[in-house]
Amino acid sequence: MFIIYYTKMNKIILRSLLFLGLLSHAQSPLPSIELKTLSGQFINTDDIASNNKLMIVSLWATWCVPCKNELDAVAEVYEDWIEETNVKYFAISIDDSRTSKRIKPMIDGKDWEFEILLDENSELKRSFGVSTVPFTVIVKDGLVVYKHTGYTPGYEDELYEELLKFSE
Amino acid sequence: MLTCFVFAQEETKETSIFKHFKNNLSASYESNTQWYLNDSKFGDFEEEEHLRSTNFLRLDYSISNQFSAGIQLESYAPENLLNNSKLYDKDLGVATYYLRYATKKLDITLGYFYEQFGSGLILRAWEDRALGVNTAIRGARLIYYPSNSIKITTLYGKQRKGFEVSDGDIFGVDAEIDLSKTLGILSSNSLVLGLSYVGKNESYTKADETNTTDIPELVNAVSARLDYTHQNFYTNIEYIQKSQDLRLNNIIPNVVTFSENETFKGSAISWTAGYSQKGFGVSYNFRRLENMRWFSERAQSNANNNPTNQLSVNYLPALSKQHDYTLANIYLYQSQPGLFIESYETPLIKAGEIGQFIDVFYNIKKGSFLGGKYGTKINLNMSYWASLASDFSDPTGIPYFVSDNLTYETEFINFKNKLYTDLNLEVRKKWSKRLKSIFTFINLYYNKSILESKIDNNSVRAWIGVADGTYKFGKGKSLRLELQHLSTNDDARNWMGGTVEYFFNSKFGLYVNDSYNYEDSKIDQDTKIHFFNIGGSYTKGASRFSINYGRQRGGLLCVGGICRPVSQNTGVTINFTTAF
Repeated sequence: MFIIYYTKMNKIILRSLLFLGLLSHAQSPLPSIELKTLSGQFINTDDIASNNKLMIVSLWATWCVPCKNELDAVAEVYEDWIEETNVKYFAISIDDSRTSKRIKPMIDGKDWEFEILLDENSELKRSFGVSTVPFTVIVKDGLVVYKHTGYTPGYEDELYEELLKFSE
Repeated sequence: MLTCFVFAQEETKETSIFKHFKNNLSASYESNTQWYLNDSKFGDFEEEEHLRSTNFLRLDYSISNQFSAGIQLESYAPENLLNNSKLYDKDLGVATYYLRYATKKLDITLGYFYEQFGSGLILRAWEDRALGVNTAIRGARLIYYPSNSIKITTLYGKQRKGFEVSDGDIFGVDAEIDLSKTLGILSSNSLVLGLSYVGKNESYTKADETNTTDIPELVNAVSARLDYTHQNFYTNIEYIQKSQDLRLNNIIPNVVTFSENETFKGSAISWTAGYSQKGFGVSYNFRRLENMRWFSERAQSNANNNPTNQLSVNYLPALSKQHDYTLANIYLYQSQPGLFIESYETPLIKAGEIGQFIDVFYNIKKGSFLGGKYGTKINLNMSYWASLASDFSDPTGIPYFVSDNLTYETEFINFKNKLYTDLNLEVRKKWSKRLKSIFTFINLYYNKSILESKIDNNSVRAWIGVADGTYKFGKGKSLRLELQHLSTNDDARNWMGGTVEYFFNSKFGLYVNDSYNYEDSKIDQDTKIHFFNIGGSYTKGASRFSINYGRQRGGLLCVGGICRPVSQNTGVTINFTTAF
């Protein structure tokens, strides 16, 4: 009964979803969004993409425990990743004014070597169509070639396997 | 043979058109469904609709390098989830849409857009689906970059009100100037200046026609902010002033009337200073808010009718540490930004808040005695928040704050009316390649009488301890165990809680969680009751499916710094999200 009810309610949306299912594995360009640096200067994702052949863009927040676990885990192996694949890791915080003041002391306190940028009003998050963080994508030559939502312990190994597929 | 060839060629052409289309389209879908059940402890679920679902479908299409367009469909069937705003009331409707033209110099949006000036204290149009908030503005926005160091934003529109828009109009201008680039300061320094203006215009008809007070239909706010970084040192300051506006007359809680004899100004100041270097970071923050609640329809300032803060022009979150653990989320500070005069039952007056917090992060190096093989990460966080010290006066001498002539004066710096303090210590330690742990200790004071407008003199002193350990078995298999305890002799007294979470691989996991208020207490809610939850999730790429069954606490629910009262409930929750 529950299933029938549920299907009825979502009929229209589910139908369009079926159509959209055909669109999966699309290699769309990285959305063009203005972000901020930690010192308040603006920077566009286009400029980042054109300057970096292979990069990981990861949305995170200071209040998100799985995000911090992911970044802590990657931080430990980041040097090896750079050496092997020449990747650059952009950790983009979606913290708003409630918590954004914690970002700077946190990343230094944690000794993270990532490029940190701010998406204060979740513009990039919305463009990715994401409702929860962490959300991680691999961008090659400006195209989003891999997407992943969430973090579970040990996932960084899988991310690295994916990364190897796209490095030359 | 020939026809075959032609057919094949056509197909290639079609495929490439489809490919082009799909490469330029991005889509996402989110569905949240709740099925409310009767509960042996709370009793039956009393509302009519037990099964409710909210759905969001968002499509963005880039037409060319400059043009893009998008639409968001939303469905609330048969109605919005429990505790969410009833303004979102359609089975299926077009919620937002836009057409955008963007080049390096110019960025124009027609339709709905989101925006934030500075930290959002003056203006923030945003979306948070978990909170059921969407304050997008429908109108036009123009962003112009005269040079690579100056950004000017102008906008006009009406704010989203469910599937309608607000009565009031909003217009704003913001200029952001990177002075370090403009003035050619060294690269180790940076100086960014921001200036904003936001106006809200809304007609007003006086209830008392004989009243001669000048009641402004246009409320103006101006702000200035500065971000300065010098090597490892950084600071940020922001100041906002809001012009005279009416205040609510709270004689009957749900009836919206305004006090027409006096109007009041508002202001906000926020200051941060910090120092950080590799392995160590510290930041100090101060904020003072006075009469800063601001809505695109003034009637929405009645919190009884609008507990979810719909149509808010600005963003005024609580600045205290945000917690993930269930017991750490029972006594949370909620910001007190508004002028609030409650003249029913026990009278209560608030004009705003003042407070500060400090954050220290330290990484004990690998190889040292305390650092061990992998290093130890420490975070210490303290906050103190108080109600503004104010003197209220009424020339007519009518008691219980019921008179429309009431005015007030506040002291600029006075921390005496303590509402909330906390001290948080978090230690993250990795023991081996497989085992990691997080220890959290919290000590807090919570002034329940004022924060929750409760009549009796009721404050809570509590401490909370959490131990959280994760063991990795390899190949994505992992086990997480979490134990929590909350100790207090006040309110609902002691709680204990725990979570067991197991991931079979990096895609599929299950968890059980329980919070148990195991002591008898004076209050009737939450006493000797288990809040048991069980659930699981499956993730593949950018798609996630999760299901949960259990009992949710009533009271204040705070997510992302915004708190609202929720009723306790038991049920099944299903979430599905995907993005292409």
